[in-house]
Amino acid sequence: MTTTTGRDGGDGTVRSPVAAFDDPHMQPYARHPERAERVVAVCLLFGVLGFVGYGICFWVGGQTQAEGALLGIGLFGFGFGLSAWGKYLMPRGPFSEERHSYVSSQAEVEAMTAAVVDRGKMVFRRRGILGGILGLGAAAFGVVLTFPLLRSLGPQPKKALFVTDWKKGAYVVDTNGKRVHRDDMEVGGMLTVFPEGFVGQSVDQTMMVRASTSDVKTRPGRDTWGPDGYLAYSKLCTHAGCPVGLYMEQTQQLLCPCHQSLFDVLDGGTQVFGPAPRPLPQLPLYIDEAGFLRAQKGYDEPVGPGFWERS
Amino acid sequence: MTTLGNRPARGLRQRGTQGNGKVKADPVEAGVRWLDVRLGVAKGGRVFLDKIFPDHWSFLLGEIALYSFVILIVTGIWLSLFFNASTAEVIYHGAYAPLRGVKVSAAYASTIDISFGVRSGMVIRQMHHWAADVVLGSIAVHMCRVFFTGAYRKPREANWIIGVTLLTLGLANGFIGYSLPDDLVSGTGIRLVFSFLLSMPVVGSYLGFFIFGGNYPGDGSLIPRFFILHVLVLPLVILGLITAHLTLLVRQKHTQFPGKGRTEHNVVGTPMYPAFIAKTTGYLFMIAGVLWALGGLVQINPIWQFGPYAPYKISYAVQPDWYMGWLDGALRIMPSWEFASFGHTIPFEVFLPAIVFPGICFGVFYAWPFLEAWLTGDRADHNLLDRPRDKPRRTALGAAALAFFFTLFSASSTDVLANFFQISLNSVLWFFRFATVLVPVVVFFVTWRLCLDLALTPHSGKRKRTNVVTRSATGEYATTPSDDRPGDGHHELEPTPVPVFIDVGDRAEPVGADLGSGVRRIPRR
Amino acid sequence: MREAGRGRGSGRVIRWLGPGLVVSGVALAGLLGSGALAGASPSHQAARSQAAPSQAAGPPISYSLPPDSYVAPGKVLFEANCSSCHGTDAYGSDRAPNLVGVGAATVDFWVSTGRMPLAGSAIQAVRKPPRFTRTETLQIAAYVASLAPVTPNAPSIPAVSTSVAGQADGLDLFVLDCAACHTVTGAGDALADGYFAPSLHVATKTQVAEAIRTGPGNMPRFGPGELSDKQVADVVSYVTGVIQQPDNGGGLGIGGIGPVAEGFVALLVGIGGLMLIAFWLGERA
Repeated sequence: MTTTTGRDGGDGTVRSPVAAFDDPHMQPYARHPERAERVVAVCLLFGVLGFVGYGICFWVGGQTQAEGALLGIGLFGFGFGLSAWGKYLMPRGPFSEERHSYVSSQAEVEAMTAAVVDRGKMVFRRRGILGGILGLGAAAFGVVLTFPLLRSLGPQPKKALFVTDWKKGAYVVDTNGKRVHRDDMEVGGMLTVFPEGFVGQSVDQTMMVRASTSDVKTRPGRDTWGPDGYLAYSKLCTHAGCPVGLYMEQTQQLLCPCHQSLFDVLDGGTQVFGPAPRPLPQLPLYIDEAGFLRAQKGYDEPVGPGFWERS
Repeated sequence: MTTLGNRPARGLRQRGTQGNGKVKADPVEAGVRWLDVRLGVAKGGRVFLDKIFPDHWSFLLGEIALYSFVILIVTGIWLSLFFNASTAEVIYHGAYAPLRGVKVSAAYASTIDISFGVRSGMVIRQMHHWAADVVLGSIAVHMCRVFFTGAYRKPREANWIIGVTLLTLGLANGFIGYSLPDDLVSGTGIRLVFSFLLSMPVVGSYLGFFIFGGNYPGDGSLIPRFFILHVLVLPLVILGLITAHLTLLVRQKHTQFPGKGRTEHNVVGTPMYPAFIAKTTGYLFMIAGVLWALGGLVQINPIWQFGPYAPYKISYAVQPDWYMGWLDGALRIMPSWEFASFGHTIPFEVFLPAIVFPGICFGVFYAWPFLEAWLTGDRADHNLLDRPRDKPRRTALGAAALAFFFTLFSASSTDVLANFFQISLNSVLWFFRFATVLVPVVVFFVTWRLCLDLALTPHSGKRKRTNVVTRSATGEYATTPSDDRPGDGHHELEPTPVPVFIDVGDRAEPVGADLGSGVRRIPRR
Repeated sequence: MREAGRGRGSGRVIRWLGPGLVVSGVALAGLLGSGALAGASPSHQAARSQAAPSQAAGPPISYSLPPDSYVAPGKVLFEANCSSCHGTDAYGSDRAPNLVGVGAATVDFWVSTGRMPLAGSAIQAVRKPPRFTRTETLQIAAYVASLAPVTPNAPSIPAVSTSVAGQADGLDLFVLDCAACHTVTGAGDALADGYFAPSLHVATKTQVAEAIRTGPGNMPRFGPGELSDKQVADVVSYVTGVIQQPDNGGGLGIGGIGPVAEGFVALLVGIGGLMLIAFWLGERA
């Protein structure tokens, strides 16, 4: 068994346990070490082959899957060999070590406490006013620190969340900037539209569909908003702002692909299922003399998800 | 002071004599001495080499996280050599034919160039992504191990807190990294983040506008900001916390399961050098191998198929990476409750699942060690671990929490499930609204019952020894138990301190005819 | 080097895949066979078709009606197979819609994809092997088309030429108008109330164009005022050229349904596999 060579480290020398070769702790874990050694050798060789194979593969031009397989096998074989070496061919143990306590003695704890308290008294009791100013300064510094950290990053919201670029008379254009004519869409069609000059603006994105006029349930005050069955709703989901791009033509519903809020197209964009709390805002449209679709006015409520300043 | 003259007589460290009779200095010792004179490494280094690592497999789960993180750092540095974190518009002219001529952001174009235009770029990019998916999974299973065995108890509460922080930062950095390529799917995730910020009462719109540089989608500064967070700030903090995590681990030493010769006052297992080093380095290589092979063989996040992001475009089946799934699921099953009066709106349907809920979850994680001590009144030091079955209430609670998160995670793919099983999306959603409440309750009671029953069954879960039945020539049957395998624990040796020197005594060769050459070379080092 | 990376010819790839496979072992052959070989080839195909567009620019889509001689046999087929629901004169019934005026393309889409005749009472007709031959299908379409004049609402059967179509434009339109339901990889997904957007992976060029122009079921329709024939051809080219032959250069496509499948692989293969290794490496209780 293990013996200790008579030194305990107290005098600065190193404690040096000695194990005999026939100590059972020092035997390998493997019952047949020769066999284990062969396995380890094969694994390491596989690793080397994988590395070389990857190198060759890379050198001649590379192919993702070949690279993945070759270096993957190389790394895995190498690692497996190394681990097997450690597991099967090194001393099986078990070995132990003492859990020396790092906890200080009661006296040391008291000394530390006393130091904090007594010196603290010296600082704060005699110089209370300084401590107060120190605290005030720290607080002020903390507050002004947020100015560059946050405020510098971007503008204030102001009214940005309340307005879009849809104005009275704005032409309805598609994503190519082409004005939409009353004959362009057939019943059952859908189109992502923007106010002219603002194609691609997130807040302005609007989903326009053309329904059969006889099906539309006109909400009070919206009698003229859907000429020829053209209905336009904000494409920003009132839940979390994803584009509500999924139009189910047969059931006349708009579905949000993110969290599956469902809105009734014919009934003023009312939410019928899912987490969205509000109907999709509707854009009032009209058709001018030339037959182009235009906005009667902007949206009469903020588009998109809810926020604190929204009434 | 240990001086040269104080060196113990040990023949093994001498490499014979030179012709003039002088003892030739051992080159390793010369190296150690060179270092020691300058850094003083010998004393502490020796203790470090003897550090004992418990052998139980569950202690390796944290290593998966550590090594995956190492791989993330290495592959991440490599990727940063090619990635261009800019939303500036460029016309794509790269190797992927269907996108040629499309206006895309520089971030998107450079990510596709890494995939198709840089040698081994596809493998390394995908390996980075797989490693991110794996690192968070391994943190989760590591955390489960620590939870179910009670390893977080006094005096290790601080390390639990560091661990929970690492999980939080890992989630954040994973999400940010996922957003960097500026593709259609990840862009939708960024949109959601803006809405989450907006949902916060009073400060929400300000936070959103400041961080994004304006109303969504901002002024294009988000990707560069995310980039510097992803490659510098968060990795540095994570690295610092991992250092603290491991330093505390070394200082407090490992916990261990109870067993032969294992007490509250020792640690039993494998010493750092040589066996553990070999095993763990091998494990690092194997993890790298698995991730590299995944990177080359299984496609992940094929952004060239998704196309560039535009705020008005969307794809169905948009999910975040799996570790964010529980939040997405919570958003989906949340009813549409919105507070709107007194001239203000609080969108609870977003604020509760996206801000309050994760806040509560991580609050409970942070507080758990203290909460448990307060609930059980157990304020003693614990270095020996619990078997989960011996603590039925804790185990049942943990299992219920896992079931809860798993149900939410599944709820994040309601559409995919509805499509796969060909049932109504609406029914699936309602199922999950109930399941999120019911499944954890059922799991709690089932687990609790199982723990009680298991605790009553002796030797359950131990590896069984085979009985060999032999029939003699005369037709008699005899039953003999098979040989033990090392590590079975049936006849485990008493643990012993790590020996430094091997006493060869007067024998030149080791005893034991069947000892391989391996044993000779190892103890000598 | 970045330019050189793509310069790998398919010949080189194949030549070096051989030794690679040998080293990788038999177990990986399957993976590679489905991942690497299948994944590598479409990109080159795509590159070729993109690189050499035909200069002989005909119309991107030509619409045509089946010959008049098809009307009479079509009427027989219709009355034998369709009229029990759609009525003897195709005016519909309480069980099925009026077909007068829907045009040949609508009929061709529903019948050629096997959705009609309906198999049973499902909330939505599903794609299945077609009941009728191509000629029979055209005959039924000819008969239904003969009941009303051809209008933009009732298009004839489109033949799409993708030789001048732009896949880049197709991608743009696909993501804008199609991906919200069919997903960006064309895998399809569940809509509300039991409806679903089908996968696009088996649709033919004509069927894709027919679906766009006629809007079957819950799908909106995109008339010529909204999408020009060129734009429809772009989308068709993207669907049949890229969606149906995706460049899975990264390896196994795992269903093309994004992070859900990826998460399962990460947890099962990644975490699960590495835990098994830990189980071997460490000791058990």
